[in-house]
Amino acid sequence: MAKTFTDKSRRNDRIAEVLIRIGGIMVIVSVIWILVMISQVALPLFYPSSATLAATVKLPSAGSNVRILAVGSEEKRQGVFSLDETGTFRFFKVSDGSISAAIKAPGIPAGATKLVSAENRGKSSYNLLWDNGAVSAVSVDFSSTISNDGLINLIQNVSEKGELSLPPTNRTLQSFARYVENRGTVRVDHLTGDHIRVTCQLTETDFLGNETKSTAVSEYSDPLPGSLTALAVDSQAHYLYGGTDNGILLRWDISEPGETRLLDNISASEGHEAITSLALVLGDVSIAVGDAKGRISTWFPVNVSGSGADKRLTKIHVLRPNPGKVSFILPSPRSKTIFSSDSASIHADHMTSERNLLTIKSSAPVIRASISPKGNTLTLLDNTDSITVWDLKIQHPDISFGTLFGKVWYEGYDKPGYSWQSSSANDDYEPKMSLVPLVFGTIKATLFAMLFAVPLALLAALYTSQFMSPKLKGRVKPVVEIMAAIPSVVIGFLAGLWLAPLVDKSVLTIFLSIIIVPLMLLLTIFFWKRTKRASPLQRVTHGREFIAMIPVVLLGFYFAALLSTFAEAQLFAGDFKQWLFNSLEIRYDQRNSIIIAIALGFAVIPIIFTIAEDAISNVPRNLTAASLALGGSRWQTAWRVVLPSALPGVFSAVMIGFGRAIGETMIVLMATGNTPIMSWSLFNGLRSLSANIAVEIPEAPFNSSLYRVLFLSAVLLFVFTFIVNTLAEALRQRFRKKYGRY
Amino acid sequence: MKIFWKTGEPYVLATGSALAVILVMSLALIGTVMTNGLGYFWPDELVQFELKDGSAALGQITQREKNPITGEQRLQIKVANRDLLGQDFRWIDEKEIKSRSLPSKAVLIERREHGNFFGFLNGVTAEGVTLNTLPPEETLEQAMTIVSDKLSKTDQIRKEMSDLNNKAEHLRLKLLRLEYSGSTKSNIEIEESKESREKALSDFTELNDVFSNKLAEIGEITAQFTDVSGGTKDIALVDIVTVQYPNRMTFFEKCGAYIERIRELLLDDPRESNTEGGLFPAIFGTVMMVMLMSVFSLPFGVIAAIYLREYARDGVMTRMIRIAVNNLAGVPSIVYGVFGLGFFVYGIGGSIDNLFFPERLPTPTFGTGGILWSSLTLALLTVPVVIVATEESLASIPKGIREGSLALGATKFQTLTKNLLPMATPGIMTGLILSMARAAGEVAPLMIIGVVKLAPTLPFDANFPYFHMDRKFMHLGFHIYDVGFQSPNVEAAKPMVYVTTMLLLAIVIIASSSAIYFRNRMRGKYTTSTF
Repeated sequence: MAKTFTDKSRRNDRIAEVLIRIGGIMVIVSVIWILVMISQVALPLFYPSSATLAATVKLPSAGSNVRILAVGSEEKRQGVFSLDETGTFRFFKVSDGSISAAIKAPGIPAGATKLVSAENRGKSSYNLLWDNGAVSAVSVDFSSTISNDGLINLIQNVSEKGELSLPPTNRTLQSFARYVENRGTVRVDHLTGDHIRVTCQLTETDFLGNETKSTAVSEYSDPLPGSLTALAVDSQAHYLYGGTDNGILLRWDISEPGETRLLDNISASEGHEAITSLALVLGDVSIAVGDAKGRISTWFPVNVSGSGADKRLTKIHVLRPNPGKVSFILPSPRSKTIFSSDSASIHADHMTSERNLLTIKSSAPVIRASISPKGNTLTLLDNTDSITVWDLKIQHPDISFGTLFGKVWYEGYDKPGYSWQSSSANDDYEPKMSLVPLVFGTIKATLFAMLFAVPLALLAALYTSQFMSPKLKGRVKPVVEIMAAIPSVVIGFLAGLWLAPLVDKSVLTIFLSIIIVPLMLLLTIFFWKRTKRASPLQRVTHGREFIAMIPVVLLGFYFAALLSTFAEAQLFAGDFKQWLFNSLEIRYDQRNSIIIAIALGFAVIPIIFTIAEDAISNVPRNLTAASLALGGSRWQTAWRVVLPSALPGVFSAVMIGFGRAIGETMIVLMATGNTPIMSWSLFNGLRSLSANIAVEIPEAPFNSSLYRVLFLSAVLLFVFTFIVNTLAEALRQRFRKKYGRY
Repeated sequence: MKIFWKTGEPYVLATGSALAVILVMSLALIGTVMTNGLGYFWPDELVQFELKDGSAALGQITQREKNPITGEQRLQIKVANRDLLGQDFRWIDEKEIKSRSLPSKAVLIERREHGNFFGFLNGVTAEGVTLNTLPPEETLEQAMTIVSDKLSKTDQIRKEMSDLNNKAEHLRLKLLRLEYSGSTKSNIEIEESKESREKALSDFTELNDVFSNKLAEIGEITAQFTDVSGGTKDIALVDIVTVQYPNRMTFFEKCGAYIERIRELLLDDPRESNTEGGLFPAIFGTVMMVMLMSVFSLPFGVIAAIYLREYARDGVMTRMIRIAVNNLAGVPSIVYGVFGLGFFVYGIGGSIDNLFFPERLPTPTFGTGGILWSSLTLALLTVPVVIVATEESLASIPKGIREGSLALGATKFQTLTKNLLPMATPGIMTGLILSMARAAGEVAPLMIIGVVKLAPTLPFDANFPYFHMDRKFMHLGFHIYDVGFQSPNVEAAKPMVYVTTMLLLAIVIIASSSAIYFRNRMRGKYTTSTF
């Protein structure tokens, strides 16, 4: 029995030891686990994109020399189609390459025999230009049904879009047609002799049901700097862009019916290379320009100083050049990604991040291409009549180190800058996700808070550990420790809803008290010296000086408040904030950096105080005793003996306070306006990394770019505080080793 | 004088004043919260102002300050009657006031909607109810008791309705499960469940009709009031929470009213998008989350501390663990929130949903924020507090006790469980209380992983399985943020925020000061009694 009991005890002991060891190691594991988990979410931002060949379909010959004008694919990559110059859509099954249907485009204009060109308006809709100059519009739709045995049945349909069928004209080389609300049908023709003709046809129906048709035609026949080689029109027919054979980029305003105005006439390539391709990037703001040397750049109109209200086309982004002449540019319908081809290969680049995402090499020169409405399928036709379908995996094209930490020239901005504006109402918006203003905000808040907190906390810690009577110390220390337990949401609430309006009423009080409170202190010291002679007072206050200082401090604040009213009336015409704005052009926000400095400082004071006080108190008593015995005063001992010895500990206290201030969320969230601006002004708000996470993550879609960028900012916060805390801990361990535990 | 400066006495004073500034700031913080929070429930007098332009105003004086434009003294008055006047507060310049009086008939009605009503009682209209002819005040009181009687009779119906609702929801989930499993033999069961669900739903609608009829009937009983400018207002008695005549209440009556309001605060549900009424769900949610958190953080923290203090040898490993502990304590709380969202909510929660509740997808069950994930995340966040406290208390146990136990033949584990842990219990408890205080005040991570402004149900109720770990909950700290910063009428919501702040502050300060007190006592005990 005794033996089994001992055995059992031993066994339990061993099991317990293993479990406890695991428990200890779990602490390290969980720290690493946190970092790994949040990094794992953030990392896909930088993953490369990939394209895999999903299918190849060899087109059966449709007859000798029948040109194919367009190709396309269904979203799930089950079916592809081609459009040839007879106006026939032929649909193929991807699985076996068989023809599933051949549909003649509906609504062929009378007298038309052959198609000249087909312009993709996006989403498998085409404008067809016929040989007699007539235009018709069709769109291709797919619908799929799943049969009982699990097979997907594709049903394809080609429908006509009536408002875009336009009568024949002559001399037309190239034509664009747009239907615009309130302006009717806008047709832009490129005529022989490089003339441009814009026709607006508006059909208005009045309340009686009478239709009135109005047509406005304008022809632009001024001589151009070169012959036109590429043209593009945006989806609302506001602007017409043109490129010439000597590298001149042109822009016309065609938004007024009957009027065509040349706005820009600018050299787009250094070596006067011909512009070979133009395309509007999603959102219709930027135009992508490709030239004969393979260079690709994007442009949009910018306010140029000295040009008045007019905006001039400016080169914004230069993307990675293609090896050969740019034969076409294809914008993605989902993002600001553009696909460009130099026949031999296809390149995908994102405009904002200037990231080269993909290069797809084709075995034979590519002549036609299209991108599916969701932007994830690329269909290519090469000159051997085979269609290849590519499955694109482009996860976060808009994010790169450049967009996160560098200056980026965003659409609609006058110059490159750092900006955070993650979302907007429309889909074609260019998200601005620069972490720089947030990092700036974090540093600003932390710095101001530390400027406020460190002197107060360290001086108070020195006083408490060195000069205060031990009995009082036993009371004051717990009070400060309880202060440390005050929830940050409480401090933030008071800062935002109580302190901010209070400071708003008299900002000057804050500045004056910085001067007046120390002045009061000097005054007190002066009288102190006098009264010290009357020694009973000295005995009473020795070790309790701070109690005497409380009324002095309060009086100081009171005088500052009184004086500020007076000063505001006398010096600043009764309104300091107005004066600030008028004479210094400084905007005053109610929730500004002063509030943050005080609130955040208040939150970290107890932390710095407690750790610093511990460190100072842990300096061996014999050092102090020796100094005092040699005749040093209590201040000399504290300042020259104790503080230098405790310096590593004090420094680690400051570091830990710093780490706490960096990550504090609720106070910054509640006490600032959360505006991501970069200015060192005391009177402006800010947005910190942590507050930004709290504000944006509830609305960030799972696994979107924003979601991952927010995780990335959490990684940044983690790494930053990790470094600070580890350094502080290392210092503290060294300090402890030096003095042991007394 | 020179010596005075050289010995550095002035600098001592300077350091002393730094401490003074800190203490003044703390006192200002606590004082502001207390004055604003405590005063809110006191039934202030209703002052009637006759203004020089002939109009009148009735309300409670809330503040007096200098008009920033004219420089005259002005009063901020809570005039209530939000539905009539559009806003709760108005400013009156003191020079505009002709006279003030305290009409004893002035009545303060606390309503379920539109905030308070200040005015005068005219009479009570009650159809189908016989009331004794009495002065209007007493008639109102009599009618109020009748109404509350009638309302309590409807409680039975309400309970039945909630049961039916639960049953229907239960059947809906069962149906989803059956349909998802797709086996043919469950067809009969599906039909049966469908039928009983239909029945439960139709019963519910029937009861609901009865209920709303009864409510409408009770709603017929109204009281007529006039406001100070002479307009009349009918208020259904059902909408009245309390009736007070603050101008004729004695001090003790006011104390009674005050205590009644505190009871309401602690035990009632919030009203008017959280700006009035009670805080019960928030208190309950906070307490339950903290309790749940302790269940996770206590064992983990204690074991880690035991390892550090009793098992690990001083070396690289211990140093690394110490660094890890410090980092757990120092990593921003929002990072924990982000981690909780990515790991617990989407990671583990998503997997649980896929494995156990696939029929409910895409509606998430555990794959969304909830009380379980919140408490797990906060457990991780507060573990360092437990570790540090436990380690400290283990360290303060004299070595002789360990050696004595081991010398008598006990194993290390026996020494631990029989000697060390019982001795360290006060210290561990201190750590636990401190960690609870920290968790109760932490808001940032919870905002992302499970706290909501208004939770329809508590995470614990009488329906199986009683603890609903997947439910979202309300939290005092988040309540402060939400009501103070997200509510449309911040000025009217402010008193409520102060009260909530006071409550949270009281909880946290009481908890941490008692923990600190015990810790200091314990420290004293061991340091004096040994060596």
